[in-house]
Amino acid sequence: MKILFIEDDTIETMKLHRTVSKLQMRFDIVEAKNGEEALAVLRSGDELPDIILLDLNMPRMSGIEFLRILKKDDKLKYLPTIVLTTSENRADLLECYRIGIAGYVIKPLKYADYELKLQKVLDYWSVNELVKA
Amino acid sequence: MDNKEVILLRKALDRQKKARVQAEKILERKSKDLYDVTLHLKHANSKLENLLSEKTSELDGVFINIIDPYVVMDLAFNVINMNLSAKEFLGYDHTKETINLEKLVHKDYMEYTISSFRSLLELGTLKNYKAKIYVKDGSEKYVQINCSLIYNKEHQPIAAQGIIRDVTREMEISHLLTEQKRQLDIIIENSPLSIALVVANKIVKANNTFKNLLGYSDAELKKLCLKDISFPEEREESNKLMTLMESGKLDNFSITKHYVRKDGTSLLAKTSINAVRDEQGVVEYQVAMIEDITEQRNLELQKEKLMKELEASNQGLQEYAHIVSHDLKSPLRSLSALATWLNEDYKEVLDDNGVFNLQMMQERIEGMDKLIDGILKYSSITAENLEYSLVDFNKIIHDIREIIFIPKHVNVIIMNTLPTINADKTKIHQLFQNIISNAVVNIEKEEGVVAISSLETDSHWQFSVKDNGKGIPKEYHEKIFKIFQSVGDKERSTGIGLSIVKKIVDLYEGEIWLDSAIDEGTTFHFTIKK
Repeated sequence: MKILFIEDDTIETMKLHRTVSKLQMRFDIVEAKNGEEALAVLRSGDELPDIILLDLNMPRMSGIEFLRILKKDDKLKYLPTIVLTTSENRADLLECYRIGIAGYVIKPLKYADYELKLQKVLDYWSVNELVKA
Repeated sequence: MDNKEVILLRKALDRQKKARVQAEKILERKSKDLYDVTLHLKHANSKLENLLSEKTSELDGVFINIIDPYVVMDLAFNVINMNLSAKEFLGYDHTKETINLEKLVHKDYMEYTISSFRSLLELGTLKNYKAKIYVKDGSEKYVQINCSLIYNKEHQPIAAQGIIRDVTREMEISHLLTEQKRQLDIIIENSPLSIALVVANKIVKANNTFKNLLGYSDAELKKLCLKDISFPEEREESNKLMTLMESGKLDNFSITKHYVRKDGTSLLAKTSINAVRDEQGVVEYQVAMIEDITEQRNLELQKEKLMKELEASNQGLQEYAHIVSHDLKSPLRSLSALATWLNEDYKEVLDDNGVFNLQMMQERIEGMDKLIDGILKYSSITAENLEYSLVDFNKIIHDIREIIFIPKHVNVIIMNTLPTINADKTKIHQLFQNIISNAVVNIEKEEGVVAISSLETDSHWQFSVKDNGKGIPKEYHEKIFKIFQSVGDKERSTGIGLSIVKKIVDLYEGEIWLDSAIDEGTTFHFTIKK
């Protein structure tokens, strides 16, 4: 399964890689440091990802701005996008659902909890029928 | 002398005799006539005399019987005659003393008196002479006199007669009225309200405040119609109301409208119009009272603007709190992950001390994360954020029992059925959860009880949470509600919980206080406005 991981924090990227490495299933992770980079990846003509994991607080183009652009795109709007954030701001959560998301996951404090949560998310999407497949 | 001659003489003598007899007869008749006439004259004379005396006595009667004081004076003001009423009024009697009327006149009226007398001499009569005089007892009287001259046979004026009316009382009333009018004028002129009297859309009178407000003089105002000082686009409404007033359907109304000053600037004013009607109910006057509220309105607008800014700034602050908390929490997550990995990846090289230090690091990270959460929660408790719905307080307690950690030996019980109130569910949950979780972890007795009860007052709901824990020393009763003030010795305590509680209670216009006895327990009481 191919994942587009949009995240500016190096350690967060390390956390995902470490979590994924412990799983049996193979994941192809494409990284983007912000919304602009992510759009560039999506429009490069390369094979599209199966799901997008999106952080909200990023420099240059925030997660919400990226989401708006994505959902206006006739083709890209079908990509399941799961928000992965530290923000417990209810306004952010409501806005994301308004624009259109496939999930909203809050990063827990402890790494062990993070691993558990992420494994569940990836498990869930693994058993889903995906647009591209 | 011949016979003939004798005969002739005889005849002549005869004729003479006859003529004498005849003359005697005529004389006799004439003298009788004369006597008759004399007699008649005598009679007529006595008749006239009677008539005259009759008339004289009649006149005397009239003179005495005039009710008003009546005085006759010579041209040097000395009284020649006066009736009883005059004697009573003036206190003088001309038969006993000389009275000079000029000397009775008050000095303020002297000049006027002299000119009035001159006019009397010229015209023969004088009407409506009014003056203040002193009567004999020294008191002052106001008199009104109508008088005329009396002439002799040669048509020379020799005296003047006049009727006096005592108008003291009338003058007093008139002075009183003048004084009252003056007082009323003072009140009206000094009123902070602009007042104008309007007749048929014309301003007939206005006080100084009105004139100063609009910058017009009296004369200029009199030429103006109400519409000249109004905004054209606002006329329709006031015209409608005026029509209603004229038709008798309205006695007063109040509108807020603009006025144009003489210099062209405008002002916003609250205007009250009252109708003054005549006996038939037709509007005689309209009294307009105008209060300049330009300043007031400006202040209101300013206030509105400030409120908006405050709202925006509050919103900004909320955003800010979220961003700051996010930016503080992200590195904490990274630190936590790194510490975990150190522990996992370097198990072989780490001794017990190293493992312990990493564990301590995790605990500190956890503490800081809680603190950030607490601050964020505290800052998000604002009136704008309240979402109202019907909240069953019993259910809230049930929910809390399931969520929080309650030691096995502690029971959380509801003493009476709690009310269902229109409130913000999340905030009420926060409120009870903070108090209850404090209570349950501080009980060292074998059987711990946390009892929740409620009672209703006229204006508030009062709730109590009673525990049999170790109690809170008196000196902390105030302090515990302040942010970052923790009295527990537990390291996990952030000191925010009860300040959140206090902030929520404040939001509901309630009070919070506590009773506590060391080793017996604590009861928190708080109220929520209905």
